[in-house]
Order: sequence, then C-alpha cells, then structure tokens
Amino acid sequence: MNWRKLNHALHRDLGFLGVGLTLIYALSGIAVNHRHDWNPNYRVEQVEMRIAPVPAGVVQPQQVQQVLRQLGESKISRPYFQPDPENLWLYADTRMIRVHLPTGRVQAEKPVKRAFWYRLNFLHLNHAQKAWTWVADIYAGGLFALAITGLLLIPKRADLKRRALVLSLIGLLIPLLFLLASD
Amino acid sequence: MSKNLTLILTLCLFFVGSHQALAKTFGAGLSLEKTIAVSELLEKGDTYVGKQVQVQGMIVDVCQTRGCWMYIAGDKPFEKIRIKVNDGEIVFPLEARGQKAKVEGVVEKFDLSREEVIERRRHHAEEKGEDFDPATVTKGETFFQIRGTGAEIEGI
Repeated sequence: MNWRKLNHALHRDLGFLGVGLTLIYALSGIAVNHRHDWNPNYRVEQVEMRIAPVPAGVVQPQQVQQVLRQLGESKISRPYFQPDPENLWLYADTRMIRVHLPTGRVQAEKPVKRAFWYRLNFLHLNHAQKAWTWVADIYAGGLFALAITGLLLIPKRADLKRRALVLSLIGLLIPLLFLLASD
Repeated sequence: MSKNLTLILTLCLFFVGSHQALAKTFGAGLSLEKTIAVSELLEKGDTYVGKQVQVQGMIVDVCQTRGCWMYIAGDKPFEKIRIKVNDGEIVFPLEARGQKAKVEGVVEKFDLSREEVIERRRHHAEEKGEDFDPATVTKGETFFQIRGTGAEIEGI
C-alpha cells in the first residue's frame, strides 16, 4: 500500500470513527454559543399562586410551616431563605418558591432538564470529567490527524490541486483574519 | 439467613446515605482549609479584596440562563453573597438551589453608579423575565462578590 492509499484509508476511517463525537460537539457547540439567548440545559416552568398574606419581618419556623401547608407541600420542613423582610424563598426538591409575604403572591419555578441538549452539553463541556477527559483528548488528537490527512489528500488533477489549495487557504485565513481584526 | 439480609440492607442504606452526602466538585474544587463567615466578608470586605477565600452556606439562587452565578446565604438574616464564574468555565446547575455548598474564589469589590445599578438590575430582571422599574433605584451601590474558582455542592 503506497502512502496515498494509506493516508486516504486513515482519513476515511478517522472520519467514520469520529462521526458520533463530531455530531455531539457540533450540535452542542451551536447550543452553548447561543447561551445568552437561552438556557441550553434547562427550561423553567413557572406557576403563580396566592396564599394568605403574612406580616413582613424575620419569619419564624412556624410561619414557614403555615406557608408550606397553604401551598399544599407534603413536607412541613423545607430549607428557606429571606433576601429581605418582605420576601421568603422556599426550596422543595428542585423547585424554588418565591413568596411575597405582604401580598401572599407566590411564584414557583421548576427547572426541567432538556434531556437531549443536557446530555450533549454534559459531554461537550466535559462535565463528566475523569475518563471522559481521555476520550475528549483522543478525539482532539483524531481531529488533528483528520486535518493533516485531509491536507495530504492532494488530488492528481491540476485544477483540483488548485481548488484544494484555495479551500485550505480560506480555512486557515478565516480564524487568522478574525484574530487580526479583534486585536 | 436473616443476619445476612440485615447486613445487606445495612450496607445498602450506608451506600445510599454516603452517596447522597457526597459533594459534587465544580471548577478547580477547594484548596483552602478554613472557611470564613459570609457576614465577616460582607462587614470587612475591603480587607479581603483580591484574596482567595472559602465560604459555605445554602445556595439560595442560581443564574437561570447560564448557571454563571449563584448566591450563598449568609449566617445573619437577609445576608447573601454572589459567586460569579466565567461563562461556560463553571456552570452551576439549577437543582443546586436549596443545597449546601462550599465555594472558593477571589473577593472583588464593585462601586456602581446609579446608572450602572439600573443597568445591572435591568439585565437580571430580563434574565428572570421579571418587570423592572428604574425609579426604584435611587442611588449607587457598593458590594462585594466572589469570583468563583471552585465549589463543592452537596445533594445534586
């Protein structure tokens, strides 16, 4: 097998091998690039309710229990916090319940994982750590090899050779010009 | 037979218990051995500016859009401190609200004009989808926050 055939085979097989990870990194990359516009991991369900008003001030545990009963919470003991005398924040499972004491206005928020995107981002952003770091490093090495073997797929036809050169140059110039412009 | 069953059940309960008590590490984790009280940090913030500190307490709120900040409750009523991390480097999960955490980072001080406070609160209100009335801000603010480098959060 000459080097051209070997290079072609390597490039092809690396491409097939990396297809799953490439799709994960590409999709998650788009998702997290736009995290200023949306939360790519969660959507938040909101429910509004009303309970009887509670006097403002430092709330006592009994008052918190009363609020929880009015909210229909099964447990009468939940972690809570007061950011100021008029507001009480309660935590029930993954929910956060904000109570405005003087008016009895209640806002409950429940984060719901975006099952597909959460898992993709979990891998892409390496929140798995440990063994996944190795997988990601090997994949990065594979991408490097894919780029080099891609460059070496030099066609024999002169017009295709020129085309390969132009496309490769464009690919290199895009990040370089961007860096120069942002300096 | 029943002895073995009891042993297995005990081991299972121990495993479940210890698993739930395990803390999940974020970012660079923790390196300091001593924590300081949030109240101490808020009262004497100037002496801590630029220094690496560790605080602990209940997570009372988390950034809903990017998980790029959270608030830790203080040891005195109505006190909390903001932990800000670089977008994407650490992402605090929304399920962390109500859980206990230890957090480390460098203390920062902000002196904001009234206009800057309005801009900041408007941004936070937009993130939460809440209404914001600029007239509620009458003056500038000075506050401290921790530029988070690592954390351990229990129960998630």
